[in-house]
Amino acid sequence: MTRNLTLATIAFALFGVFFASYATLDFANHLDRQVHGIHCSFLPGVETASSESSGCQVTLMSRYSSVFRTKLWGGLPVSLPGMGLFAFLGFWGAFLVVTGRHTQRSAAFFTLGAWAVPLLTSCVMGYLALVELDAACKLCIGIYSSSTLGFAAAAALAWTAWKRPPAFGSGTQEDPGVRGLAFAPPLAAVFVALPIAAYVAAMPDYSAYEAGCGQLAHPDAPADLLVSLGGSAGGHPAIEVLDPLCPSCKGLESRLSASGLDEQLSRRALLFPLDDACNWMVTSSLHPGACAVSEAMLCEPDQARAILAWAFENQPAITSAERATEGAAARMVVEQFPDVRGCVGSARIGQRLNRGLRWAVSNQIPVLTPQLFVDGRKVCNEDTDLGLEYTLTRMLAAPAAAQGGAQ
Amino acid sequence: MKLPIVLVLGALFLTTATALPFLWVKQAGTRMVQLSAAEAPPTAAVAEAANASYCTPELKAVLRRVLQSCGLLEAGGVRGCQPADARQVASLAGADFNALFLPMADRAGVIQFEQNEGVLDASDQALVDRIFADQRGASYFFVVARSSPEGSVRYNRELSETRANAVLAHLRANYQDPDLDREVGLLWLGEEFAQLDQQFCAWQRSGGESQCRTADLNRSAFIAWIDCQL
Repeated sequence: MTRNLTLATIAFALFGVFFASYATLDFANHLDRQVHGIHCSFLPGVETASSESSGCQVTLMSRYSSVFRTKLWGGLPVSLPGMGLFAFLGFWGAFLVVTGRHTQRSAAFFTLGAWAVPLLTSCVMGYLALVELDAACKLCIGIYSSSTLGFAAAAALAWTAWKRPPAFGSGTQEDPGVRGLAFAPPLAAVFVALPIAAYVAAMPDYSAYEAGCGQLAHPDAPADLLVSLGGSAGGHPAIEVLDPLCPSCKGLESRLSASGLDEQLSRRALLFPLDDACNWMVTSSLHPGACAVSEAMLCEPDQARAILAWAFENQPAITSAERATEGAAARMVVEQFPDVRGCVGSARIGQRLNRGLRWAVSNQIPVLTPQLFVDGRKVCNEDTDLGLEYTLTRMLAAPAAAQGGAQ
Repeated sequence: MKLPIVLVLGALFLTTATALPFLWVKQAGTRMVQLSAAEAPPTAAVAEAANASYCTPELKAVLRRVLQSCGLLEAGGVRGCQPADARQVASLAGADFNALFLPMADRAGVIQFEQNEGVLDASDQALVDRIFADQRGASYFFVVARSSPEGSVRYNRELSETRANAVLAHLRANYQDPDLDREVGLLWLGEEFAQLDQQFCAWQRSGGESQCRTADLNRSAFIAWIDCQL
């Protein structure tokens, strides 16, 4: 019985290694600073990686997917130590089976204790994913399931070993107790530490991008063209080129806020709606209704953050409504924020929004959102997701004279 | 016999867990280097002013001459062009000068003044606001003021200047646009050059239905955004 239960723990550990490996692979692929599809499947390797937005994408890009983000580009993926730990648990089960120590109580209880680590971690990460991120990642669910089932098998193993009478003289090994397992915790640590060390050692050199990607030719925008997004009054001046109905802008705002680095910035937004109703630089409306929402933010700068938060929260509803009925977005924003009534759609505010777009022309910035400029220097577009904390920390620490950066 | 098996298993598990991440990260690093060494892939368009299809080289040449002479393209230049200047710098006959603006019909309007008046009334202001706010990617806003032939040439010249300046004053008073001086070009043509003909009656006008005689059309300031990069 204990042998079969130990074999079950090995099987679940291998499942854990499998899922954690794919999660680590997806994360590591992004270290080239490009956008990649990810394996959002219970059958990774069978189903191909997808670039579609999914719970996996949300989870991967969230601050919970890795640690030490300011020290390493992207940080250390939490799935990596998981991969090492599952590998250890697989080895540990094999060790017990090969040496016949699966019957020993001390070994069974150590197995249970060791499996408690991925189980507890899974509970915490699962809570964060479901409650904080409101996203379900299939690879993560694979890891959570492996942890839970492995722990259940380990618990059954411990229970069986506990109930099993001492088998003196029956040919099984005598239980050496805790001392006999003293090598196991350090060995587990090695299994976790070595993959981390290998990962860190293999990291590319990102120093070429730490100074940003170019700079604004005319960083001093007239104050009435920008709306405050908060941050610290004496912080580094930061301009976010954003479209209130652009999902990536919502993502950047979320990551910036989660990083805590927004508190070191004095943040203002240049509204750049990718909506041909007001923006001649786009040939079709990527985000219909963005012009109306942008105008509302300019109409009431004191309420701009609230309007932006509302727009982020209701992006699909606003764009769908505007697609269905022209002017719907304006009606929605006016209904939600009555103070902008009579202002949204007026010639004066339209002209101000247009001046903002012309400021973008004078700085020859790309027609895309979001873009982040700190102290006049542009954070490379490729560094606004996983690499945001790493890059921004270095840009904020760099002396003001260190301008330019990668082109 | 058990120890070697255990060691082999341990090495297998540990090597797998260590080598794979190392390999994946190395591959990502290699890709990053290759991408940075390769020619930059197509990126998003750069923000730029509009350049409409009607902006032919010939039109641009005329516009450039007019704008330079009217103090827009060179700092410190004289603001505004008088009839003689306009005729000279445009190097065009009056009809040909007006024809330049025909492709801009949907971006232009005729602000019609009362006879002998140079003040914008409410409907004039509304049309100026509507057209000026519809700048989009246009770079230059032309105000071409005229007078009907009643009265002396000199008086009409001054009256058309007053009308052009009335539009500019309205823009200054209502739009805090620091680019105004670089965007707005004034021409006052009096009764001497490029009088509007009946075809402009169909354009956006601030005057009523009945104010469509040639004299009515020329007691005016013609305004238009020009979507040309010079």
